[in-house]
Amino acid sequence: MTASRRTFLKGLAVAPALFGGLSSTISAYAQKAKAHGDLIVAIAKPAGNLDPHKYIGLWAVQDLMFEPLMRYGKNGQIEPALATEWAVEDNGKLLRVKLRQNVTFQDGTSWDAEAMMWNLDRWIGKPANNWMNSSRLYSGHRIVDPHTVELQFKEPVLGLLYEFSYVRPSRFLSPKSVDKDGNYQAPVGTGPWIQESASNSESTFKRFDGYWGDLPTFEHVELKVLPDSRSRMAALRAGEIDLAGGDYLAPIKATEAKALESAGIPVTVETGTTTIVLAYNPDRNEALKDVRVRKAINIGFDRAAIGQVLYQSLAEPAGSLFPANVPHAGKRFDVAKRDVEAAKALLEVAGWSGSGIREKDGKKLSLELVVSEEQMAGSRSLGEILQSQLGEIGIELTIRSVDHASRHSDIPARKYDMALFYTLGAPYEPFGTLVGLFLSTFNNGVDGKLFLDPANLDPLVLAATSASEADVAGATQAIYDWLYNEVAISPLFYAPIIWAHAPRVQGFTPPSTEYDLPYKNITLGA
Amino acid sequence: MKFLREFLSYTSSLPRLAIWAVGTFLFLGIFAPWLTPHDPNAQNLLQAHLGPSFAHWLGTDHVGRDTLSRLILSARTSVVGMTLVLVLALSVGVTIGTVAGYRRGWVEEGLMRIVDVGLAMPSLIVALAVIGIFGTGYWNMILALALAWWPGSARISRAVAVNVMNRPHIESLRVLGASPARIYFHHLLPATLGAVLVYATADAGAVALAIATLSFLGLGIQPPTPEWGQMLVDALPYLESSPRQVILPGLALTLAVIGFNLLGESIALNRVPTPLSRKILRQRRITAAAWKKA
Repeated sequence: MTASRRTFLKGLAVAPALFGGLSSTISAYAQKAKAHGDLIVAIAKPAGNLDPHKYIGLWAVQDLMFEPLMRYGKNGQIEPALATEWAVEDNGKLLRVKLRQNVTFQDGTSWDAEAMMWNLDRWIGKPANNWMNSSRLYSGHRIVDPHTVELQFKEPVLGLLYEFSYVRPSRFLSPKSVDKDGNYQAPVGTGPWIQESASNSESTFKRFDGYWGDLPTFEHVELKVLPDSRSRMAALRAGEIDLAGGDYLAPIKATEAKALESAGIPVTVETGTTTIVLAYNPDRNEALKDVRVRKAINIGFDRAAIGQVLYQSLAEPAGSLFPANVPHAGKRFDVAKRDVEAAKALLEVAGWSGSGIREKDGKKLSLELVVSEEQMAGSRSLGEILQSQLGEIGIELTIRSVDHASRHSDIPARKYDMALFYTLGAPYEPFGTLVGLFLSTFNNGVDGKLFLDPANLDPLVLAATSASEADVAGATQAIYDWLYNEVAISPLFYAPIIWAHAPRVQGFTPPSTEYDLPYKNITLGA
Repeated sequence: MKFLREFLSYTSSLPRLAIWAVGTFLFLGIFAPWLTPHDPNAQNLLQAHLGPSFAHWLGTDHVGRDTLSRLILSARTSVVGMTLVLVLALSVGVTIGTVAGYRRGWVEEGLMRIVDVGLAMPSLIVALAVIGIFGTGYWNMILALALAWWPGSARISRAVAVNVMNRPHIESLRVLGASPARIYFHHLLPATLGAVLVYATADAGAVALAIATLSFLGLGIQPPTPEWGQMLVDALPYLESSPRQVILPGLALTLAVIGFNLLGESIALNRVPTPLSRKILRQRRITAAAWKKA
């Protein structure tokens, strides 16, 4: 067919009508989505494999479908979930749980003792899960009746109830969502959200109307993958997403929070359960073996000023290893104040003298700080401030910034004099950090160690892990005191947890751990 | 004096923007320590994010350092880094290229295939791989970039060397019994260097950009040394609240790179007849039409 001038002109006349029609369809669709009440949440990376017994997917996404026996509430309170009652007996060696009745999985399978044990058999007592006390010390179980189960342990299990609140591997998958070989097929749990679709760009969920608890007031949750934090901020301001934040889900930096606030987006800031800690490695640098040098460094920089400049005053300077909202966080230590003269005097007494960079036996007082922007945003700027402020007391700090992969290899290999760490955060505290980051015999993979002293520190950690519930406070305090007196670590800041949500989101409350998705209590306005 | 006059008359034939940009860049690079109004590394956390003022002409950065001083000293970082990379890359490249051009035969084949392998890989990827293996650090970055940059100069110097070797005076030298060392060092090398240096001018901008890129990624220059790429990435979180901090280093880098590119291009084009401008073409047509009539 040859296109005559007439057909071309006709086409031109029709085109705007077509376009108009199309765009009105699109906006109608968008309106419909909003009207029906979709909560659109930003996630920094795709949800991944959501098998609750594997360690792959995003925790917060797993939280939408899978529920624990008990939940970790605010400040470490244990709240009932799939278990309504529980009792720890036999000196902590027996856990008896009463399961919630009239609960079904999203595929109709009923939740009972059998379903619970089917799940537990997939992970408990297996060597890969030895990092959990409950798995390492598990000895057997007894099904008392269809809704009562007893779990037996070889020794008293510390933090037992917390471990059953973890996202993985402690949550429950429908026994029918596996193939005949027992391989995981689909994310089907007891939670209020059913996965509709999942791709590398978004995951969508619809409400499970047979949910046992309070039904969410909106029908869909949509998780949009937005890897770049600037595009998340733009999407939030454009009204394309309703919710972003958290440490892992879709992090918001302090500077971004301030920008959002000034743009009229509601921002919630809470002290989280993680701490930013400066770690020393005396095994690599002789100078750091001297507690006086560590002490001088600890009082050689100004936490308050750094907090104001880098964290816009949103991060609280830290004196203790854990913020107060962590269970057994111990006595509050005072935040170290910058005291240049005292720091200089300490170095002088320790034998490091001279103007400019201090020396001892012809060796310069030079330390290497390893930072990784990908692991901790803003850590290089933090390093630069430390470099300048420690320079004033005569310590030469060199900064080596590395990518994520190099950090994962250098930190466990202890190739640093000083490095920045995060503690693990709820619900893993306090023992996740105390055992994982301080016990020399415990292999914690890429996380590395905050401080190692097999002779002095290990016995304290072991004593705390085997302490009875009544003695735990004292035993953990002994660790905190030792760390404080030895200046084995320098806590810097309690990391703020920042969430921002669209104005139409009402009733938002930050989650109690970084591993939950805060959809509860939310209602969507117009 | 005669040399200076010749040099000036030559530069006047080059684009003025390029001369100004490159001239300022080199001037700042060489005299930076005497030009900075403040200590570029002196922090004052209480004076972070200040706008331009009499004390700080271009304001201060996120930890209260003087932006102007850091911009000036960054030029030095770039000039020194760029020179080191080019000197290293050129010494390797020219040596390999001239040896290949002098010896010809299987030596040339072998060396040029190695060069082909080098050219086949994007230079930034090579640099990233080298830094990945040896770790971050100033000298590792220089080494990595030199390793990424030599194949280009090897290819060019080989072409020039082959050309030089085919000239009659080299043949005469051979007949007269000049030693290979004499031919190579006295005649071949100087003739090749000239051509390769032109190429180096055009490439200097790309090297400066690569240094900034690596520093932007945190793999190049390490703090506290000021560097444009690093200033850019440090300022990114404040893009909205204080865009000046991102724009200034970006602008400085852009000007330096454009300057070098224009300069290199015009030096190369100076040897090629320029096409006639439209105005002249129109005049010629009118003249030609007049001839026809006549």
